[in-house]
Amino acid sequence: MSEIFVNMGEISSAKDHGILTTVGLGSCVGVTLYDDRAKVGVMGHIFLPRSRPNDQGAPPGKYADTGIPAMIAEAIRLGASKIRLQAKLAGGANLFPNLNMKSLSIGQQNVEAVKELLSKHGIPIVGQDVAGNHGRKMRFFVENGLVSVTAIGREPVEI
Amino acid sequence: MNEVRLDFLKELANIGTGHATTALSQMLGGRLFQLVVPDAQMLPFREAADYMGGLEQTVVGIFVVISGDVAGHMACVYPLNSAYALIRLLTGEETPEIDELGRSALQELGNIMVTSFLNALSKMTDLLLAPSVPGLAVDMAGAVWESILAGAEVAGEVTVIRTRFSAEGEAIEGHIIFLPNEEDFGKIARRCGLEGL
Repeated sequence: MSEIFVNMGEISSAKDHGILTTVGLGSCVGVTLYDDRAKVGVMGHIFLPRSRPNDQGAPPGKYADTGIPAMIAEAIRLGASKIRLQAKLAGGANLFPNLNMKSLSIGQQNVEAVKELLSKHGIPIVGQDVAGNHGRKMRFFVENGLVSVTAIGREPVEI
Repeated sequence: MNEVRLDFLKELANIGTGHATTALSQMLGGRLFQLVVPDAQMLPFREAADYMGGLEQTVVGIFVVISGDVAGHMACVYPLNSAYALIRLLTGEETPEIDELGRSALQELGNIMVTSFLNALSKMTDLLLAPSVPGLAVDMAGAVWESILAGAEVAGEVTVIRTRFSAEGEAIEGHIIFLPNEEDFGKIARRCGLEGL
């Protein structure tokens, strides 16, 4: 089975089978969209919540506000129906909690932005493993929509 | 132009890391450290993720926010084995895991290295570069690295200065990474007599 690695800021997709994997989610949020009937899966690795004017050439998947619509468009392109899409989230951690640069950590801001956008598009979140202070690896099995989240020194979580 | 900029970045890294490893050497009873030629790059964001390599490996990352005349971020990243060796040298204790004592020893070490690095740049430029209290994470290299980049809120290109160092007779190596704020980087260059970098 083919495994596609989704780097920071990227969006990748698969249909029918294959694994979409993102390694080393820290404050970033891994998002999966899945249409169970069309067997279409899309994964994004969101870096920051909002796109900025000083970053024109950024890939859409870098920011939540451009990434979520791009992911939906990609799912539809592969034959998914928007009303059947379901989302899962992992990541959004705060690896350096004592730095407290802002009242809300970047990880939390990312999670909130992603949730807000998904809700705006009417996409339910059916599983999540977010926040905390540890990094995560997320694997998305497109044949059945299962997502497994692993972390150092922790039991794997299925979401 | 880019070449000049990169050479200048390498020179900064040499000076900064030279001071940082001297400070480390003093903490470790005069043990000698070797600097590997510094690597300075302006990476497109797309390539930044791969810069660290071994994204699933466990590393120790120390992260500092710089404020003052120059804003930016700094990080020290050590492979797990090197972190254990450093803890043993600093505390005299052999530990099977990184406990509270180990964490605070590494944090202190990061603090001293970063402060020495920034002091050297401050002296050279007469600009204030003040480090925050360091944050410390023991986690997957990928998660540590992307959290550092997200903390620095990098946009299109990332200016990374990285120096690897290793210790004589001990398997210790690490990276010191300096991510200057893009506009403020120009200030450092001007103070050193380089215009338009």
